[in-house]
Amino acid sequence: MLLKVVKISALVAISACTLNAGSFDTQAEKDRQALVKYMEAKFSNPEKNKSFFPYSTEDELKRVIKKGVKAADLAKGSYAYDSIGREQYDDINEMPPYEDAIDEGEVLYGKKFANGKTFKECFPKTDIAGDYPYFDNKKKEVVTLTQAINDCLVANGEKKWNIKKGNMAKLEAYFSHQSKEAGKKVAIKIDSKEAAQAYENGKKAYYTQRGYLKLSCATCHVQGTGKRVRKEYMSPLLGHTTHFPVFRLKWGNLGTLERRLEGCNKDEGENPHKGSSKWAKEVLYFMSYMSNGLGIDGPDIRK
Amino acid sequence: MNLTKKLLIASAVSGLLATASVAGDMNLVKEGEKIFNTKKLGNCLACHAVNGKEINNPGSLGPKLQYLSSWPEKALYDKIYDPYSTNPISAMPPFGKNGWLSDHQIKALVAYLKTIK
Ligand code: HEC
Ligand code: HEC
Repeated sequence: MLLKVVKISALVAISACTLNAGSFDTQAEKDRQALVKYMEAKFSNPEKNKSFFPYSTEDELKRVIKKGVKAADLAKGSYAYDSIGREQYDDINEMPPYEDAIDEGEVLYGKKFANGKTFKECFPKTDIAGDYPYFDNKKKEVVTLTQAINDCLVANGEKKWNIKKGNMAKLEAYFSHQSKEAGKKVAIKIDSKEAAQAYENGKKAYYTQRGYLKLSCATCHVQGTGKRVRKEYMSPLLGHTTHFPVFRLKWGNLGTLERRLEGCNKDEGENPHKGSSKWAKEVLYFMSYMSNGLGIDGPDIRK
Repeated sequence: MNLTKKLLIASAVSGLLATASVAGDMNLVKEGEKIFNTKKLGNCLACHAVNGKEINNPGSLGPKLQYLSSWPEKALYDKIYDPYSTNPISAMPPFGKNGWLSDHQIKALVAYLKTIK
């Protein structure tokens, strides 16, 4: 029943996307608050609120899933409530495998291009992870951090980087780390009618069933949060963008949010949209807005 | 009488007729079990535990499957073919309608599901 309510309310939210002329983020702000409320209700006491977890065993609700989880905790993804996964996570974090990448990212930041300039020309500040993606009102498009980095390279006569790993992930790890150290939070703005439309497009894409499996991102990361695909607990949309890039044990190296997005998109049984596509950028804009106000927490590790 | 009920009753009747031939086919049951547990095929274990069977790390996105032996074959077939026919907001993929599993593969799954107590 609850599942029904959630799905229906998601649909209502999509169809009720009236754009207020005065303040462009009214609808987005409503959506974000509803998401916070939903997640906090879900994890206030899973053992008691079983309707959120209709198919989980009594035992796991009692022993594994933590209660009293708050929005801010969800920056840790499923490790916020999966107590067994959390132990392994804490163990690995004693010697984080991403530390070298942060240092290498710092080197890349200061390294001279062939024209003698550096990334500092494009990014005078380094604690900027929470400010992306933003909507560029001149270009009328969403600009992700990944795109801004590649634009900077091209503007300086350099070749673009792979948007999924390698140098891109390292430089982003440095930016993310700097932002975390500075106590920065996710701070996405929606300040025009076009920006609000891009947000709505991203939201709609997130809730649309896709691929031959006819799953939506929301099936797994809104209603599905806290349930399992095989033994893997699914993480919440809320907090999804705070901690990237991540060192994934499965990858054996550091990857960007774009890389993860393509992976999940493929798991849905769809020929994945490229991380640099309009589709992906608008989904990322929506996802990032949902995490507004949460602390930047990257880079991090994930299974 | 609602549509679901009508459908279930209608299929119960046709199911009765077909049971004898299918229930005996252990090869079909084995094939169905393999489809259930293979990632590139049904991958049903991603979401479902199964009562009375050893499943390797089943998920919890869908219900633990139980008492399916008493379901009419047509109802099981339809659930796999297109779960939206009985539950328009199901999170389960429509394996037949989307062309992922063939008629034969779905029949094999049905034979396997019929062994679930
Ligand atoms: C069939 C279920 C399923 C669907 C559909 C799905 N995902 Fe995922 N997703 C997972 C699982 C399982 C993981 C790994 C465990 C985790 O962190 O949630 C994951 C991980 C992620 C992560 C990494 C989270 C982290 O903290 O590291 C992101 C981001 C993500 N998914 C986004 C998406 C987006 C965007 C879509 C839709 C285009 C989507 N997912 C569709 C199951 C799914
Ligand atoms: C992505 C998750 C997912 C996958 C994969 C999946 N299912 Fe389901 N299944 C569900 C959900 C959710 C329900 C409950 C809602 C419904 O009945 O539609 C369900 C319900 C069922 C039911 C009805 C159970 C009952 O007691 O009402 C059967 C039978 C079933 N699934 C069989 C299968 C088979 C066979 C496969 C593989 C070919 C499969 N499922 C794959 C999610 C899934």
